[in-house]
Amino acid sequence: MTHKLNTYLLAGMVWAMAATAGLASSHREAPLISNDPQADNVDVYAFRSPDSPNMITLMATYVPMQLPQGGPNYYSFGENIRYEIHVDNDAAIVGDEVTYRFTFTQVNEDPTTFFNIRLGKQNLKTTYTLQRSIDGGVSFQTIVSNGVVPPPNIGPRSIESGAGLGAPDYASLMTAAITTASSGEKVFCGTSDDPFFVDLGGIFDLGDAPRQSGSSVDGLACYNVSTIAIQVPIQTLLKAGVSPAPLSILQSDFVIGVWASSSRQQIRTLSATDGPTYSGPWVQVSRLGMPLTNEAVIPIGKKDFWNSLTPYQEISETTLDEYFYNPELALYMDDSQFGTAVPAFAPLRIQTGSLGAYDFRNGKNGLFGLKGNAALAGTALDDAIFGTLLLPAAGKPRSVDLWPIFHTGVPNLPPYQLATGKNGNPLAVGKPFINNFLPNGGDMLRLNMAVPVTPRNDPKFSTLGLIQAAVLGLTDPAYAANADLQFIPNMDGFPNGRRLEDDVTRIELQAVSGIVLAAIGLWYDDYIPGTTASPVTPKLLNVYTYTTGVESNDVAFQTTFPYVAEPHRGTEECGGPLFVGTNDVFGGTIGLNQKPVLMKNFPNPYTTQTTFQFKVNTAMNITVRVYDVRGAYVATPYTGFVSEGEFQQVWNSGNTPPGIYIANLYDAAGHLLQSGKLVKTQ
Amino acid sequence: MNNSTKRMASWLGMAALLLGIGAPAIYASSHREAPLIANDPLADNTDVYAFRSPDNPNTITLIANYIPFELPQGGPNYYNFGENIRYEIHVDNNAAVAGDEITYRFTFTQVNEDPTTFFNIRLGKQNLKTTYKLERSTNGGQSFTTIVSNGIVPPNDIGPRSIESMVGLNTSYEALITGAIMTASSGEKVFCGPADDPFFVDLGGIFDLGDAPRQNSQSRDGLGFYNVHTIAIQVPISTLLKAGAPSTPANILDANYVIGVWASASRPATRTIQPNGQDPNDQGDWIQVSRLGMPLTNEAVIPIGDKDRWNRMTPYQDLAETTMDEYFYNPELALYMDDSQFGSAVPAFAPLRIQTNALGAFDFRNGKNGLFALKGTAAVAGTALDDAIFGTLLLPGAGKPRSVDLWPIFHTGVPNLPPYQLATGKNGNPLAAGKPFINNFLPNGGDMLRLNMATPVTARNDANFSSLGIVQAAVLGLTNPAYTATTDIQAIPNMDGFPNGRRLEDDVTLIELQAVAGVALAAIGLWYDDYVPGQSPVTPKLVNVLSYRTGVNNNDKHFKTSFPYVASPWRGTQVGQ
Repeated sequence: MTHKLNTYLLAGMVWAMAATAGLASSHREAPLISNDPQADNVDVYAFRSPDSPNMITLMATYVPMQLPQGGPNYYSFGENIRYEIHVDNDAAIVGDEVTYRFTFTQVNEDPTTFFNIRLGKQNLKTTYTLQRSIDGGVSFQTIVSNGVVPPPNIGPRSIESGAGLGAPDYASLMTAAITTASSGEKVFCGTSDDPFFVDLGGIFDLGDAPRQSGSSVDGLACYNVSTIAIQVPIQTLLKAGVSPAPLSILQSDFVIGVWASSSRQQIRTLSATDGPTYSGPWVQVSRLGMPLTNEAVIPIGKKDFWNSLTPYQEISETTLDEYFYNPELALYMDDSQFGTAVPAFAPLRIQTGSLGAYDFRNGKNGLFGLKGNAALAGTALDDAIFGTLLLPAAGKPRSVDLWPIFHTGVPNLPPYQLATGKNGNPLAVGKPFINNFLPNGGDMLRLNMAVPVTPRNDPKFSTLGLIQAAVLGLTDPAYAANADLQFIPNMDGFPNGRRLEDDVTRIELQAVSGIVLAAIGLWYDDYIPGTTASPVTPKLLNVYTYTTGVESNDVAFQTTFPYVAEPHRGTEECGGPLFVGTNDVFGGTIGLNQKPVLMKNFPNPYTTQTTFQFKVNTAMNITVRVYDVRGAYVATPYTGFVSEGEFQQVWNSGNTPPGIYIANLYDAAGHLLQSGKLVKTQ
Repeated sequence: MNNSTKRMASWLGMAALLLGIGAPAIYASSHREAPLIANDPLADNTDVYAFRSPDNPNTITLIANYIPFELPQGGPNYYNFGENIRYEIHVDNNAAVAGDEITYRFTFTQVNEDPTTFFNIRLGKQNLKTTYKLERSTNGGQSFTTIVSNGIVPPNDIGPRSIESMVGLNTSYEALITGAIMTASSGEKVFCGPADDPFFVDLGGIFDLGDAPRQNSQSRDGLGFYNVHTIAIQVPISTLLKAGAPSTPANILDANYVIGVWASASRPATRTIQPNGQDPNDQGDWIQVSRLGMPLTNEAVIPIGDKDRWNRMTPYQDLAETTMDEYFYNPELALYMDDSQFGSAVPAFAPLRIQTNALGAFDFRNGKNGLFALKGTAAVAGTALDDAIFGTLLLPGAGKPRSVDLWPIFHTGVPNLPPYQLATGKNGNPLAAGKPFINNFLPNGGDMLRLNMATPVTARNDANFSSLGIVQAAVLGLTNPAYTATTDIQAIPNMDGFPNGRRLEDDVTLIELQAVAGVALAAIGLWYDDYVPGQSPVTPKLVNVLSYRTGVNNNDKHFKTSFPYVASPWRGTQVGQ
């Protein structure tokens, strides 16, 4: 609404915060786009480059869940699609300040074969044009022509052998595809490992993360995506007229908002005799800014609509705000709602009586009772400063945390400062920890480019991002001593931008559970002012230590641009299970078939993960426990009911050392049914 | 086309004859097989099966699968059949009448029972809940009659909380599948829903320039743990039978009992994206965007430059389209089984070597003449190679060596006539009468899966049951004393296997690679180069081909013993790597 906008702009001041919401990023997140994988935007990242801190790396991934072995026509960017990365750096001007537009072209170098690569020739060979607009999309200049997209990582015969491309290795193809734009940006477009990680299978089975029965599984491990990465000098992204040397590490002028999209022409016409043709204006079919917005905040009835909007349209679109004021996920963290129906979320409970007064459960009033109170004067909640933005009405408890982090970022003003130094009053001045305030009202990933980089090998580096910065600012003597502005490690983490490592699923679930409110002094129910010794109560620890069960990517990231890991190779571990021949797996031994459940694992030896395969002849409860050779318990890869038939359970052995382990299969009464040897190699 | 009209006329002139063969050709079914359809997964037809139902032999089961590589954990909007797509299974039973005799058309509709959640299933409600209408045409597609309204598609098997628990659907997944088996008003049994992909192949290896079996590592089932969406329909044989055919077959290779089966997906010609994320507006004529009959045709026979075009055509158009015939006469795969071409570049195929000098005379390598030298000779009189019988169909020209085996099995099936009978009883002359083992001849010229419905079912627990299909029937007919004693027609186990129809178990990748290597030629007496007349034809080179394996020989899940036979889909919470 115009009113909303005016009040924001009025606030051309300094702010800051940390709140979030939602679940697993944006793979197949809305019905329409899930059927158009080539145009499906999967994730967006924006971070200061660890090895080149004067540059910001912007990344947008597309085409979810690519099987490395998905031939003969391996996945790639699509033709006739505009893939765009948008940057806003001035909330006073509607629309992008910088827009990068990528378009792709494919040719077949040898149309006579069904192989993708043969004898040095490649089919569906993809190149791109990169155009840039710095006038809000009015005009575009080409800054890369004929950019190279590396081929799919099919296998050693196609990539390294003489019958294929004869390349030294796949990494050399990736490196060779990194190009420098005429305007100075470094660019890479190509297939990579999907940097996102989440237990899709568990979480979308009604929120079973971490798994309550069996181990959690990274549902995106082994899959690739098509990545667009661009490294841009901070100066290029900086708001016009701002000095490139920041005045502070939270300087407001250094905030950018980043989002990505894909668009198709409005009309596609199929022909009975030729390929399709495209005509008409371009229409946005996918977009992404904050992770998981459209996956786990927006309900199914609105997902396609959400994808069609730009962030700039959201300012006048108010019906979707309700999903942030009273998010669906919060229902599962609230015992008066569906809390008991989602046991995995049991550690996540929202404040119902913070400081004895504030209830943030859906439908409650949160801080609305303070509306107009003198206590708010000078804070971000003061109507005189931001209007009714953050306290729009009763019954919208999350208007103070979840809503702004998705729509405006938060300023470095109370209450959005750490409880450190507040002496028990959340509205008092505290220790600054964020300012990513860019009040344009739209869903974007907001990054303050002035915040220093946390080295990835810093012992304090954490995938919890800003949550961990808050924890350090509240508890680490190096930071908790005073309320001065200091660089706290991970202040450059999500939701202040987003690093590849950030565990956004966990952070957002913790945020829905009110952890940000706690960070600014709105403690959990079990903290009674004046009575409880420390605000670090069991309930706070429950939320802070909650984990989804999948905390990091399946492969390591690279330390240099484009940072994403090489794509999984079609012929390797991710290209399908080893063929074990289900006809033989459980046969062969006379008498074995009498057993109610049979177990086998593969691969074995394994390096990180192995899959237990069960043949269940009689439905029953079983448990599989792994022990080391000395008999010490290591893990329980599976426990629960199994019905007749066959199924697999993947087990990630985590950081257990290489060696020999024993896997025991027990029935419900604890009788040992089978015992097998596991061999973990380096 | 003149040529094809002529082709057709000569076939039809012959359709009264009883005919029959055993050749097949090529590899990994049809997942992401062509550039355009790879980007439209909902409409991507992955496989077609047609077999006599083992537990109900008076019926034929037809199965068409769509949507390749469904991740069981692929939420929150799990895979499903698409709206505004016509999914069709086509049956031809009379080559003299152009077009389908029977067409089944499935169209799907989705509703959200609870649009306020991002979960697919919650508290007994399901989003993207899918139902279907099944229509049937028995007049070549001119009119359709609805035979199932509101057919149920089971939800995806998300996990125990969504399916079994009280906060989900409070049922069992098997109950959902059973509850989704419908009976059409015209008597067919029908199932549409997610299933384990019954196909199995080492995709990663095979598309890495033919590395199957893997030369430096263990083979992997590239489709292991993935689901598809299956359309299965069980039809009484009497419904599929050619008009006027006797209700009891004259014998187990009765030519009247041959059907051709193919499947397709079509979309309206014009899609206009609508504002505000509303459903797109689809209008105009229906355009076929995917088709499948024989496995692997468009995956590993048709080269990339023609794949999209192939998907747009119907089998009935194949007849007039002669440029693609070349890919069967001289298949790309044969280059990799020929040491004078790229044979040495594909070590995995080393056991597969095509006859360069069968019987000291016939060279079947690409560009060679095969049996063309016999053209017009007295030796071919009365055989299927006689111009007087089939015209220039099987010996169209020099330099088209596979016109006698690979081409017909994809385009016409083969008749029960010499040379398409087993070497058993031929006394060394491949053109002599031998032991019958196939007749799936339906000479309409198009790519279809051809099944002789008169051929008896091989029980799946029969000791002789084999995923090698007809190749194994041929081996038994050549070597097993129970069948080698006479040239009489006998039911040899696996005569009901691919390429006489296709059973779920059939290892079509293996069979087709063996066929490209000339195993069908050997079966009818065109032995491998190392055969010495007077000695056993079961030579090391033949044994090499017969014992060749791709490294992935069966499905990752057991099939069911009753309709819909496909295994239940993998559960979202039980897989992941």
